Amino acid sequence: MSVISSQEGRLSGRNPPPVVVSPGYWKGVVRRVSRDRVTLICGAILLVMLLIILFAPLLAPFDPLQGSTGRRLKPVGWQGHLLGTDELGRDMLSRLMYGGRYSWFLGIAPVVVAFLIGGGLGITAGFAGGKVNMLIMRATDVFYAFPSVLLAVAISGALGPGIFNAILALTLVFIPPMIRVSESVTTSVRNLDYVEAARATGAGSRRLVRVHVLPNVLGPIFVYATTLVSVSMILASGLSFLGLGVKPPEAEWGLMLNTLRTAIYTQPLLATLPGVCIFTTSVCFNLLSDGLRSAMDVRA
Amino acid sequence: MAFRSIAAIGSLVFLLFVSSSQAQTLRVGMTTTDLPTTGGIPDNGSEGGRFAGYTMYDALVNWDFTKVDKSADLTPGLATEWKVDPADPQTWIFTIRQGVKFHDGSVLTADDIIWNFDRHLNDKAPNYDRAQAGSYRNYTSQVDKYWKIDDTHIALHTKVPYSVLPYMISRVFIVSPTQYRKIGNWLDFQANPSGTGPFKVEKINPHVSIDLVRNDDYWDKTRIPKLKKLILMPIPDANTRVAALRSGQVDWIEYPAPDSIPSLKAAGFQVVTKPYPHVWAWQYNTTEKSAFHDKRVRLALNYALDRDGMVELLGGTAKPSIGFYDKESKYFGKPSVIFNYDPEKAKALLKEAGYGPGGKKLDITVQLPTAGSGNMVPLPMGEVVQQNLRDVGVNLTYEVVDWGTMLSSLRQPPGAPNTPHRDGIAHGLPLGDPTNFYNEFTSMAFAPSGSNWSLYKNEKVDELSRKAFETFDPAERDRLIAEAHTIVVDDAAWLFVVHDLNPRALGKNVVGFVQAQSWYQDFTQLTVKD
Amino acid sequence: MLLYIVRRVAYAIPIALLVSLVCFMLVHIAPGDPIDSIVPPDTPKEAVEQVRREYGLDKPLPVQFAVWLSHVVQGDLGRSIASRRPIAGDLMLASGKTFVLAVTAATIGFSLGVALGSLAAFFQGTWIDRLCVGFAVAGVSVPHYWLGMVMVIIFSVLLAALPAMGAGPSDWVWDWVHIRFLILPAITLSVIPAGLITRTVRGTVIEILNQDFITTLRGKGIRRSGLLLHVVKNAAPTVLAVMGLQFGYLMGGSILVESVFSWPGTGMMLNNAIFRRDIPVIQGATLVLAMFFVLLNLIVDLVQTAIDPRMRRT
Repeated sequence: MSVISSQEGRLSGRNPPPVVVSPGYWKGVVRRVSRDRVTLICGAILLVMLLIILFAPLLAPFDPLQGSTGRRLKPVGWQGHLLGTDELGRDMLSRLMYGGRYSWFLGIAPVVVAFLIGGGLGITAGFAGGKVNMLIMRATDVFYAFPSVLLAVAISGALGPGIFNAILALTLVFIPPMIRVSESVTTSVRNLDYVEAARATGAGSRRLVRVHVLPNVLGPIFVYATTLVSVSMILASGLSFLGLGVKPPEAEWGLMLNTLRTAIYTQPLLATLPGVCIFTTSVCFNLLSDGLRSAMDVRA
Repeated sequence: MAFRSIAAIGSLVFLLFVSSSQAQTLRVGMTTTDLPTTGGIPDNGSEGGRFAGYTMYDALVNWDFTKVDKSADLTPGLATEWKVDPADPQTWIFTIRQGVKFHDGSVLTADDIIWNFDRHLNDKAPNYDRAQAGSYRNYTSQVDKYWKIDDTHIALHTKVPYSVLPYMISRVFIVSPTQYRKIGNWLDFQANPSGTGPFKVEKINPHVSIDLVRNDDYWDKTRIPKLKKLILMPIPDANTRVAALRSGQVDWIEYPAPDSIPSLKAAGFQVVTKPYPHVWAWQYNTTEKSAFHDKRVRLALNYALDRDGMVELLGGTAKPSIGFYDKESKYFGKPSVIFNYDPEKAKALLKEAGYGPGGKKLDITVQLPTAGSGNMVPLPMGEVVQQNLRDVGVNLTYEVVDWGTMLSSLRQPPGAPNTPHRDGIAHGLPLGDPTNFYNEFTSMAFAPSGSNWSLYKNEKVDELSRKAFETFDPAERDRLIAEAHTIVVDDAAWLFVVHDLNPRALGKNVVGFVQAQSWYQDFTQLTVKD
Repeated sequence: MLLYIVRRVAYAIPIALLVSLVCFMLVHIAPGDPIDSIVPPDTPKEAVEQVRREYGLDKPLPVQFAVWLSHVVQGDLGRSIASRRPIAGDLMLASGKTFVLAVTAATIGFSLGVALGSLAAFFQGTWIDRLCVGFAVAGVSVPHYWLGMVMVIIFSVLLAALPAMGAGPSDWVWDWVHIRFLILPAITLSVIPAGLITRTVRGTVIEILNQDFITTLRGKGIRRSGLLLHVVKNAAPTVLAVMGLQFGYLMGGSILVESVFSWPGTGMMLNNAIFRRDIPVIQGATLVLAMFFVLLNLIVDLVQTAIDPRMRRT
């Protein structure tokens, strides 16, 4: 759950050589990805999962909230329940489908928000330099002084349980590393010769950022953000597991793991299914971001 | 002569043998979220009393565990006898047991008893327990005056004639003033407590365990523990308790997860169940701020609940509850409504009250604890209720909290300052003695001084209860309570869910435990084999 | 060097202050009147007012912060709402238990990570590499609390070989009676650092192996052990830095594992506090753990600079 640190350790120590986006760059990226079988498979799995959870209301065979204690903890394949039923007799398959919606949302939303806010602040700091940089980066240091899990738990613990609070807590956790990464990438791009040259010819800041800086920094920042998705997903399911995220009777994988603990003695397979879902998603996101990183030639 | 000394030596050897090989250590996994407080005012509900009360302390009157075929009743504790002053029905005279020693070696006196009541009731006394006394008002609120008569007698005076006083004060544990004076404050006293009970504290490991050892000088020679040590650990999660038992970490767990019981039995563990006075229910907020002010809504929910389904969820470790008391109890009475599972009737009642299709939407918020004494498995149980209510169009949201938080919520009735709105509180609670009824359903016991969090008020119930507690004729008292209970059921004062059957699981090595029909249990008679 | 140390320590002080400010704010971001967050709900009115005065809660925020900080500096972290006991003492006990768990998990995770990472780097591109990388990805992707649950079922319930919860009787001692309790939680907690260190070591070592001087050394036909020495010397600063931070994360991030195994450390204390809305405990535990982390960061930086002066932070 502390995956953030390693990338941070490598990124903040030394600035990675920036990628210069040339006209053929994206073609090259696509070509490299299309040759990388692991990345393709992971991407495909994630795409299928995404489609399933998006269309859960159409695909789910049963109502995920409707149970009956008369048919609780039934095995795989019991009377049309392909993956059996949970501790309250609700269809497991349907719950896993709907549960994915929350788990994915909790995994991605904080990263997206952090990407926008942290990326914005980081690019600003990197581009502006001087006092602005100092201010933003010192504030970031403060949040770096908290282990990520601790910060997430402390904030959502103080705010109280709930989806919104969980997202807020996770976003706050991801903003600082996002700032650091984008600042360091931006700084190195800014110092590149041709950007310096453009500046010397009198290009305005706005134009400098739009034409020269953004295209070169967004890629690496995006790749970094994808590595955070799997962290965020595990952290979020952990918060739900602790009772700080999604509330019953809603389905969410982390929460399902917790409530199905009781089934371990009667239906061990059922009890492990949500764990398998979290694990698969997380592995795929990790490998996908690894693949993207090497395809985009980001040394981060 | 020779024969007798041989016999004596023989029995001595036998005793030694027994004490070395059998009287060993019992390790218990409790359901509490933390260690119950150990200074004589145990928190964590009745389980706190079970483990940190009657093990280490005695009250003036104790509970009798010897008659296991019926609901447990009172037995003399530190008072050998008690009676009502013939001249004044509000004055009770207790005869103090002589020759009882506290664990610190000091001898119990009548003054000590008075000093203990000062702790609870006299906010001018130096030993008044400001932090904790409030939480035991349930057990002390009827006493308004108390004094020493002579070295062997004390008197307790009640606010009104109150025939069930001995039940009420059975949770006022007597602690050692000598020890307190040595330590100087109640907080530190908890780390080094001293009482008169069959076990004494060896060590308290905060948040981890209470380690008790046998008190060889216990005054009741028949109840000197056979165990050498009793170790109590809080394990709030039901599945963790089961895992701890199965791994051999503990020998005894309270409330195993119902789904684990078949596998526990298959693995050779003893699973014992027995009815005891308990109900898992919702206390409705019956004030005008809540939909439950309307009796029809209260009734509707009682009909909407599938109690058999709930029993199914609980693997048969409970029975349906259609009243505060079980329908076989002498207090049940003859209610005119019998709550069966009838969603259609529930919908009709809700419609009458203006809810449902074409009417208002009924949204309610109820507090639910995560675990805790007598709360069984609150989260899945809560979800079953949620589903049943969804079927009749009621949208139920839970405010899920820790057991300790819920106990403080119970002391904040609807409308109290800084209290968020709640339509109810769901939990399991004791009804072991007649005072519970009085405390839950009369307006004389409105929270926070009583337990009537609902602020439920029915003149008839008040009057019958008052009469019941004024009469000193037990048969008449039972009749009056049954009559009051009849009204409470007809009025659907609460949402009644199930009565727990008190399952606990014991290792194969635990011998001689006979479960009493009580919240409290006796740990002095059992042994643990190696 | 000395100047650097002084500057680095001086920089840690404002950070520490700001960290305590964040912890202080926890009480204020909690919904409702902060006073309700720090005293039990059934406290008598006079007592509430006394606490309000004592902590200056009727004064402006900066003053409150100063008052609170002066309490903290004197070792007074306030009282728990649930147990009414001073937090500092309980927190000391709990930190000790968490430290034992974190040290053990770090030892397991780091040794495994270094071993697998170097193995993967030296056999880059072979099936050994792929196996190690697979392990690393699995390690950082698995919800470790779930792994803990599965291990309890196998080792405690089915095999009855290891205890399922707790840290053993009374105080911690390094004997078998206690170590039995440590095994499952420590392994569970070590999975993430093992995976991360594997990746870091692999990446760093491959980078070094591809550097010119190593290629030159190889060309000169230097012995394997000599090569190893060079690699270790060059990889150490980066790897040590990541390890240092990871150790901090283990100390502060063990809440889920501690909850699954009821390990009586700071994580479980936090978990219990969250359920009881015991904000003073959340605040105290967060503060102590974050301060530890600040200190650790400082030490890591200094050690790193001592090994390799090029790593100086400006």
